[in-house]
Amino acid sequence: MKEKEGFIDYPEQQMILYVEKEDGKYGPMQTGSYISANFMDDYVLKRKNLESELREQLSLGKISPIKYFMVLEDLTLSELSARARIRKSKVKKHLDPDHFGSVTADELTRYASVFNIPTTNLLQVLLINTGEQFESHLILENKAKNISINQTPTENPYVVLTKIEEKNK
Amino acid sequence: MIIPSFTHKMAAHCESGTITSLLNHAGLEISEPLVFGISSGIFFGYFHKMKSFTFPTFIVRNKPGQMRKNIEKRLGIRFSTYEFEDAAKGMAMLDHLLGQNIPTACQVDFFYMDYVPSWERVHINVHFMIVAGKEGNKYLISDVYFPQMVQLEAASLEKGRFAGGSMSPHGFLFHPNTIPPSIDYESAIKKGIKKACFNMLQIPIPFLGIKGMRLFAKRIVEWPKFARDTEHLSHEIMKINILLEDQGTGGAGFRFMYATFLQQAAEIIHQPQLKELSKQLMIIGDGWREISLFSARIGKNRDLGPDKLRKLSELIHDRADVEENFFRNLSKAIN
Repeated sequence: MKEKEGFIDYPEQQMILYVEKEDGKYGPMQTGSYISANFMDDYVLKRKNLESELREQLSLGKISPIKYFMVLEDLTLSELSARARIRKSKVKKHLDPDHFGSVTADELTRYASVFNIPTTNLLQVLLINTGEQFESHLILENKAKNISINQTPTENPYVVLTKIEEKNK
Repeated sequence: MIIPSFTHKMAAHCESGTITSLLNHAGLEISEPLVFGISSGIFFGYFHKMKSFTFPTFIVRNKPGQMRKNIEKRLGIRFSTYEFEDAAKGMAMLDHLLGQNIPTACQVDFFYMDYVPSWERVHINVHFMIVAGKEGNKYLISDVYFPQMVQLEAASLEKGRFAGGSMSPHGFLFHPNTIPPSIDYESAIKKGIKKACFNMLQIPIPFLGIKGMRLFAKRIVEWPKFARDTEHLSHEIMKINILLEDQGTGGAGFRFMYATFLQQAAEIIHQPQLKELSKQLMIIGDGWREISLFSARIGKNRDLGPDKLRKLSELIHDRADVEENFFRNLSKAIN
């Protein structure tokens, strides 16, 4: 690939591409990501649609919160079990909304740690008004115009401080 | 504070880039393509069903960690490596090494690296980056995927270093220990190329090397049956572009970087035939790039009918044919 063919103007995601320089030598060139530059809107749309579909199933009691996050974070049963250090058969049970009630606080904390969320968020969905509708604050591309939500962990693993404040204040 | 004289540099791939950066800091002038080529980084593998993947996928490089091991073996460099069961001990050792002004490579789960934009974050336990300093409760990170050094909270680094699951990092750390005064590059380059040719042509496993490429071509038409819906299939098809171009390959699934290696190797070992082969591989890489662009386009347009998947299959089959021929010629050239 020639140097001029490889350049993409996308400062948000830079990368190194190996290209043929003008003198015929091959070498590195810093450029932008082609797929992010051209298809980011499509990625965000799919992500939002997936989250909204899973949230609906969650609200209807068709899936458990563990299943919701497992699918969102693209983890398999084996992988989640190994990461949370909870037996596979038990994780399988926790994916089923009828058996989710048997989960312990310790197990919830382990799942939350894998999903990188506060434990409390396994039992609630924070929605923000994006101007058109309420959407999950988990999808970072969803931006609320006038407020920000910050969740700060505390020394107590089961408690998080959720701070909702008006922006520019 | 940042370790004095450490210079952050971007690179195409996290493992080859991290090794290159650490070796450069230790005084060895070596390029990323040479590290990649000598360590036989180029590879192909297709995984139709695996416990740790939610969808069929493929790889275009050798096993994570293998680049360091091969560089150690072929260049005679010694790395100090550390693994931990206890996270506190793992973090204490990192602080100890930083206290001695030793920039140290860490293996982490990419997902917990807070400096990574949300759309890039995936659970993958084999990301490598260098910790080059500490300020209060934040570590200074030299991640070759980013133009500048970044900061990372200690808690996030610990989470990333001690994530469980397949290929769990166990807090793995490494840094160069000794570099021999003279290095036999000719022997290292030849060994690296021979092993790469073996991996691509002769490895007796049906889903690895050229055989893996053909399996990928054959099985991709079955992908719709693994997908939840059209959007899921579109996402997975577009990931072909990400795996070939965006996930630290230097373009075309490492083919452009390997072509660069062959061009540099031709000069080092005075073998013009390698230069000719490097040109061929650049052209082969352009074909992989065509696959990347085709995947992105049909994914975006949700144009994922059997005819388009068959076309994708043909394009991959074609790459398998040309790469088989290429690696046979490369093998002959080096023997």
